[in-house]
Amino acid sequence: MASIALSRVGKSFGTVSVLNEVDLAIEDGEFIVLVGPSGCGKSTLLRMIAGLEEITTGTLTIDGERVNERRPKDRDIAMVFQSYALYPHMSVADNMSYSLRLRRRSKEIIAQAVSAASAKLGLDPYLERRPKALSGGQRQRVAMGRAIVRKPKAFLFDEPLSNLDARLREQMRAEIKRMHGELGATSVYVTHDQIEAMTLASRIVAMNAGAVQQIGAPLDLYDRPANLFVAGFIGSPGMNFLEGRCEQGADTSAVVLPKGFRLPLPLRIPAADGEKVTLGIRPEHVTVDAQQGEIEAAVELVEPTGLGVILHLLVHGEPFKLFSTDRALIRSGARLRIGLPRERLHLFDQAGNRMAAL
Amino acid sequence: MSHPPTVQSPRTGKSALRRFVDAAEPWFYSAPVLVLILAVMLVPLILGLSYAFRDIQLLNPFSGGFVGLKHLQALSQDQAFYRALRNTLWWTGASVFLQFLFGLILALLLDKPFAGRGIAQALVFLPWAVPTFLAGLNWAWLFNPVIGPLPHWMAALGILSAPDNILADPHLAMWGPIIANVWWGIPFFAITLLAALQAIPRDLYEAAEIDGAGPLQRFVSITLPFLAPTIAITILLRTVWIANFADLIIVMTNGGPADRTQIVASYIFTQAFRRLDFGYASAIALVLLVLLLAYSMVIVIIRQRLIEKD
Repeated sequence: MASIALSRVGKSFGTVSVLNEVDLAIEDGEFIVLVGPSGCGKSTLLRMIAGLEEITTGTLTIDGERVNERRPKDRDIAMVFQSYALYPHMSVADNMSYSLRLRRRSKEIIAQAVSAASAKLGLDPYLERRPKALSGGQRQRVAMGRAIVRKPKAFLFDEPLSNLDARLREQMRAEIKRMHGELGATSVYVTHDQIEAMTLASRIVAMNAGAVQQIGAPLDLYDRPANLFVAGFIGSPGMNFLEGRCEQGADTSAVVLPKGFRLPLPLRIPAADGEKVTLGIRPEHVTVDAQQGEIEAAVELVEPTGLGVILHLLVHGEPFKLFSTDRALIRSGARLRIGLPRERLHLFDQAGNRMAAL
Repeated sequence: MSHPPTVQSPRTGKSALRRFVDAAEPWFYSAPVLVLILAVMLVPLILGLSYAFRDIQLLNPFSGGFVGLKHLQALSQDQAFYRALRNTLWWTGASVFLQFLFGLILALLLDKPFAGRGIAQALVFLPWAVPTFLAGLNWAWLFNPVIGPLPHWMAALGILSAPDNILADPHLAMWGPIIANVWWGIPFFAITLLAALQAIPRDLYEAAEIDGAGPLQRFVSITLPFLAPTIAITILLRTVWIANFADLIIVMTNGGPADRTQIVASYIFTQAFRRLDFGYASAIALVLLVLLLAYSMVIVIIRQRLIEKD
């Protein structure tokens, strides 16, 4: 096991920069999830750690040693690919033992390592099979087994669950989490699925457009998103945003929404009078209150999820979502009064960065 | 929706004619194709094979009679035929091996990205587009010390003691057509192997690299297993093809000097079109056909075994 440190690590092809300078210190045993939309540079960053992609600028160290120029095989890391990348002409056991055989470990050590890993992953009945005779979930296990067998310094996962169906993904997600608990291995995990990020990570690195947006514990990102991107990306259904202008009073501020609706805030926010601000609130934090509700909204669409309902509303002509566990709300075309609890509001400035907490 | 009216046929008491029509119906539908196949493939084949048992000499107006196994008996005593058979093995083995080797190396080189790869791939295909007749003439001239540079270069490099024409040297003559054949046949292997190479998922190489495999280990444990089916089928095809391929030899050496480059295919050509003895030529062709069929069967069986073992 090892720590990994990225210091101003960047990547560019010619003059096109695909990854801005990234600073990240991964501690021994941490589970780091790189999350972001496709093309945000998360996979490139992972491949740079693996050594499959050249590092243009900055320094990558594993256990304090600079490894920029080291070949992948000399970095002592294991990687699980989205496509599993199992060797199709080798049996499951041979797939798992390939790296050990290359290192010329003794037969006993190899057999021991393979049987330990296969017992852990429930692969014992399949050891002699070829990958093509396995289901998607079993292939995924073999890919993980291949990584475990080596006892590497760190595990890298490149969207390992993306090719599985929803049920299996959930199951494997829990299994990865349990395995990380058992092995305590330093892991870097790439995904575009924010649920995977939230459930697995000790810390999440949210990325967009080749730049790190926020690094923090999952609930930190959920409760205190650093900017509009993170606020919108983490959480499902996504956060609602309302644009307005700041109106400064003596001790408190208010936000005036486009249709003239004034939303008083309990404190003064650090913005100039008349400055554009964005209000954010998660659908699950919006309240429905026939008497006290401040804003009138029309129900456009109802999505029952079983656990509750997602209401697609129109607020002053803007789309707005509400999540409630109260099933009685299911009435398309109805009109509601909704409330925005102040302590649940997120405020973002003109540039989209988080302002003072409410 | 409208349904076509269904014809109710009585289940019992089918007339004999009715049963015949029912049984013959599929054959009538496939008759045009079957007739075409019979006419185009089987009739010429059988006619050609029948020549092997007849005395057909173009210059002898009284020939044409059935001679039974006489040609085959003559063939079994024909030392020139046995020499041609040995030459065929040598010619086919060396040509296929070298074509495959250089084709594979070329395919591996072309699989790596580099500037101008598109043009290089197009150029590699060029020899294949040259008619074999022209290729043969061209190489014959290149080996000719009067007009070609090759003998002088080889002499300067010390490969030859003097700038002589290797096509006139009984010990070296076979190398002339083989070299021309290798030059001409590399693209076939390069292009088919390149296509197979490009079908190998890149992930596998990356996974192997992380697992600790060097370039040679990656080649042995990923590239070769993936290429194996393509290699087997292309080598089978080319072996049959080259064993039958007399163009270059006819153009470059005409079987000489002293029959040193005579292969079975060129021997057939010589018998048929120089001696004008079609009967004897057909008998040799029959033997070659049987040998190549046997070879193909062996390869097909081996391949089947390998697939079953998988």
